[in-house]
Amino acid sequence: MTVQATPLLSLAGVTASVDEKAILHGIDLEVAAGETHVLMGPNGAGKSTMGHVIMGDPVYTLDAGAITFDGEDISELSCDKRSRAGLFLSFQAPVEISGVPLSSFLRASIAGRPGLEMKGREFRRRVKELAAELDMDVSYLNRELGVGFSGGEKKKVEMLQLLLLQPKLAILDETDSGLDVDALSVVSRGMDAYRRTTDGSLLIITHNTRILEHLHVDRVHVMVGGRIVREGDAELIPWIDEHGFESFEREAAGVPMEA
Amino acid sequence: MAKKRSEVADIDRSLYDFTYGEEGFERLDAGLTPDIVREISERKEEPAWMLDFRLKSLEIYLKKSGPTWGPDISGLDMDNIVTYVKPNTDQRSDWESVPDDIKDTFERLGIPEAERSYLAGVGAQYDSELVYHNMQDTAAKMGIVYSGIEEALHEPKWEALIRERFMTLIPPTDHKFAALHGAVWSGGSFVYVPAGTKLDFPLQSYFRLNAKGAGQFEHTLIIVEDDADLHFIEGCSAPKYNVANLHAGAVELFVGRRAHLRYSTIENWSKNMYNLNTKRARVEEAGEIEWISGSFGSHVGYLYPMSILAGRRAKSSFTGITFAGAGQNLDTGCKVVLAAPETTATVETKGISKGGGIQTFRSSIVATPEATGSAATVSCSSLMLDADSRSDTIPAMDIRAKNVDIGHEATIGRIGDDKIFYLMSRGISEEEARTMIVNGFASPVSKELPLEYAVEMNNLIKLEMEGAVG
Amino acid sequence: MDRTSGNASGAVALTGVNAMPAPTWSWLKMNDTAVEIPAGLTPAPAAVSVEPAPGSADVVSANADAFDDALVAAGKRFASRARASAPGDARDHVALAAGEVDPMDVPALSRYQQGAVRVEEELSVEEAFETGMGAEAYGYLRSIGERPCVLEVPSGASAQVRVRVSGTPGTASVASVDVIARRDSSLELTVALNGTGSEPGLIGAAMRVFAAAGSRVSITTVQTADDAFISLDDAGIFVDEGAHVEVSHTVLGAGRSYTGLAADLRGDAARIDVDTSYLGAREQVRDFNYQIRHLGRRTTSSMDANGVLAGASKKVLRGTIDLMHGCTGSEGAERETVLLADERVDNKTVPVILCDEDDVAGNHGATIGHVRPEQLFYLGCRGLSPEAAEALFISAKLEDAALNAPDDEVRANVIRLGETVIPGFGEEIA
Repeated sequence: MTVQATPLLSLAGVTASVDEKAILHGIDLEVAAGETHVLMGPNGAGKSTMGHVIMGDPVYTLDAGAITFDGEDISELSCDKRSRAGLFLSFQAPVEISGVPLSSFLRASIAGRPGLEMKGREFRRRVKELAAELDMDVSYLNRELGVGFSGGEKKKVEMLQLLLLQPKLAILDETDSGLDVDALSVVSRGMDAYRRTTDGSLLIITHNTRILEHLHVDRVHVMVGGRIVREGDAELIPWIDEHGFESFEREAAGVPMEA
Repeated sequence: MAKKRSEVADIDRSLYDFTYGEEGFERLDAGLTPDIVREISERKEEPAWMLDFRLKSLEIYLKKSGPTWGPDISGLDMDNIVTYVKPNTDQRSDWESVPDDIKDTFERLGIPEAERSYLAGVGAQYDSELVYHNMQDTAAKMGIVYSGIEEALHEPKWEALIRERFMTLIPPTDHKFAALHGAVWSGGSFVYVPAGTKLDFPLQSYFRLNAKGAGQFEHTLIIVEDDADLHFIEGCSAPKYNVANLHAGAVELFVGRRAHLRYSTIENWSKNMYNLNTKRARVEEAGEIEWISGSFGSHVGYLYPMSILAGRRAKSSFTGITFAGAGQNLDTGCKVVLAAPETTATVETKGISKGGGIQTFRSSIVATPEATGSAATVSCSSLMLDADSRSDTIPAMDIRAKNVDIGHEATIGRIGDDKIFYLMSRGISEEEARTMIVNGFASPVSKELPLEYAVEMNNLIKLEMEGAVG
Repeated sequence: MDRTSGNASGAVALTGVNAMPAPTWSWLKMNDTAVEIPAGLTPAPAAVSVEPAPGSADVVSANADAFDDALVAAGKRFASRARASAPGDARDHVALAAGEVDPMDVPALSRYQQGAVRVEEELSVEEAFETGMGAEAYGYLRSIGERPCVLEVPSGASAQVRVRVSGTPGTASVASVDVIARRDSSLELTVALNGTGSEPGLIGAAMRVFAAAGSRVSITTVQTADDAFISLDDAGIFVDEGAHVEVSHTVLGAGRSYTGLAADLRGDAARIDVDTSYLGAREQVRDFNYQIRHLGRRTTSSMDANGVLAGASKKVLRGTIDLMHGCTGSEGAERETVLLADERVDNKTVPVILCDEDDVAGNHGATIGHVRPEQLFYLGCRGLSPEAAEALFISAKLEDAALNAPDDEVRANVIRLGETVIPGFGEEIA
């Protein structure tokens, strides 16, 4: 286990609810700088919720616990401030915003960020570079954000933002089991480029282990019923591949493990 | 499946279509003059301020022009409308002492039976005057007042309250028929529910216009004080004549803080009626008004209950159905003013037109700059039962606030042949299938009504649907 | 119409402009509008240019009657389509007068409904033809322009034409254009309405479009005038069998901007799609009237408007889908999304469906208010505060118009407007 004095991201006793229905129960989780973590678990375990709670989605209420990022308690910060602090969440289903060209949106997202803000020409060159890296058609930059984009195209747009914003920690919500091969390769390419160009941390939320094939994983967390029920190193991944989550679910339900 | 064009047979409305003579009734001359207004006031032995109010209203009426945007009302010749018809009885509080023909009318409409089984109080108006008014002792003991509004005017305590509120929500300057109402109003109910009082059973007023060529102008004034709760039901019907009758009532509702008022109406006027009715509610902080409105009868209908959400977090919901058959042009809908922060309004309406009938949904949603954080949703759907009918949707929104959410959805279409085919393939006749689908379409409204009224509404739909299949 | 004839030097008040066909309560002040036109404007025909693209030069026609002739000819084909009878129609009124029917059995039609029966039963195609801004405004606009420019695209041919109106202070510059797109032809028409300067001026267009059977007409109008200008953009469009008309209106500038469009979908399977994008800021006024009349069978219409209102701007959008008797199998859809970015704005929307036929589908929707919560969260996750998100919607409106401008000149006009709102706008998107 990697234990550092001050982890980059730390959740301590995080309990969260939506419409007075508790979804996360006392989550403790730490991610150190430069590490890659994976959060796994069956459908409905609360994995996506955790990503949204870390990012400060106002839909969820933080009932107890604290979220610390880069040495600062961010529990009360609005999502735009968390983004500017260096957190990033890729959406499994990015929203569509009609009337807003992708390029306008990207420009607004880097505006006022020290070291990232770029003037017209430089900005366009950089975005085109990233588009090429992700094999994305540059004509998309002039189109309305997400409107009429295929699943794979939406993924490319998410990865492009990951590379443009260079966050200290990126949470990739890839819980969508319907991810096709193309989209998978887009995500993989995006993660590679991110790790190559920054020393940022990754928290990958998935129940699909294929996405993790060529990745060095430092730590695996298993979530069932809104609780972290197991933590381990990368060895846990092939085990889950073989056995699934049933044993964790039984254990969580109080049935002794047979395996 | 071949498309059929419906032939529309005459509808049997004998349930509502019976008349009695006016022997012993007092009828003022037709037309409208200051003398007629004075005479109405004199007979009622009203306070002087009310006579002044009537005369001022008459002046406004004579100056104002009628609506130019709605159904044609040129067939309504005010010189031929009798504004005041007094039945041959005073107001009673037991049915036995009501004259036989009038009692028989309300028996046939099921009012005394309803009173016995589930109402907390009943008022019954026949032409221009209330003939019956009664409320259960339990309600009276709670301090609830339910009486004729004219009766209440004769009590100093209520006179002051009525004077303070009367026609403030619907000022005579509002439109021509509000002015007419102010001049010749007669009958109607006064309800006062004290703070914190919740009445478990509804009160009902029933308005019957029997006299040929007459107008009915009842005024309903309801005050529900803070934290109180009331359900009020209004029913209307009339037999059919071949000359125009006019209904220009007014309903003013005051809903206090955290109070709740449900106002349910089934208007089933005969098809020679010009129904130019005005209803308004003012809702204070966290109070709620619920309108349930069914419009079936009338030759011409103009009806748009209005909610003024004056206090923070005040709420309004409007659920309405309008069914226009042959010869009818029903222009109905609602108005909402979001005039305070965090108010919410929902509007759900269903319109059905058939046999060359016309139904129009008309609405206005206005959000003032104070309405920050408010939300309104309007959803209306219209069903065309044949190609000769018409269905128009004219919703207006005027939004002058930031941080509001206003949503509007509307659809117009007909019953899908696939649905009819499906039901018929299960052995249901086409007429039955259509009635079933129309009832299903109307169910969002009928499910909001007390059971007895939901049954009445379904019967009305059934009546309207008879002969709908050629 | 004496007040509005020819002489543009006196102050003119146009009334009943952009009137919706079926009005509602007058206290809402939405039914129509009045347009005050300042005194002393001189007609400036030189400010209007019609520029066919290379290869399209022959579409400019000398036949001034081409549009009217086309409409009359079409009218002969559609004369037999008249409805046999309607509740409350002329026949009913004859029977009423003779005492043959009970007046209570004949529905009492509203003025609009009486007019609709006349369109269905009595009026010829040319009598029923109208423009969105109405006769008074149309007459005024036509009186300003030189004789109309007639664009006639021959059968089966395709053409591209640009119309530019470049207004200057103290002038009234109006493009009068008749378009006749013959059978199976196609036309791409760009209309650039621009005006620069800080003294009052007027720009406008008065267009009549005849889209013959199987033709395809696209009209892209971008209005980029400075605040001192009034813009009046009026059109009437006749759509014949199987023809498809696409209209795109981008309204970014002018202190007061009025847009009217009326379409007559007379031929079977005729189709029109109207896309509107607008931005209101400062004290600007935006006033739209769209009325689409479905008369042919299986006709289709869509109206889609997307706008942002900031400052103390005011907007009215009237959109009417009129499904007339006999238009069986037709569909009309209308949608508006408006973002209100300031508590001082006044947004009026009235999406009307009029329906006199059962075998049709009509629907409309409107969403008015602030940025949706899920959009706000997404933008927040990318570092945009709610204020920045709102500002993004405003700048995006301009950037979108610049990115999709039909030509460089229009793009330059958009950038000029953009610079007034966002310093450095031109450098950002150039």
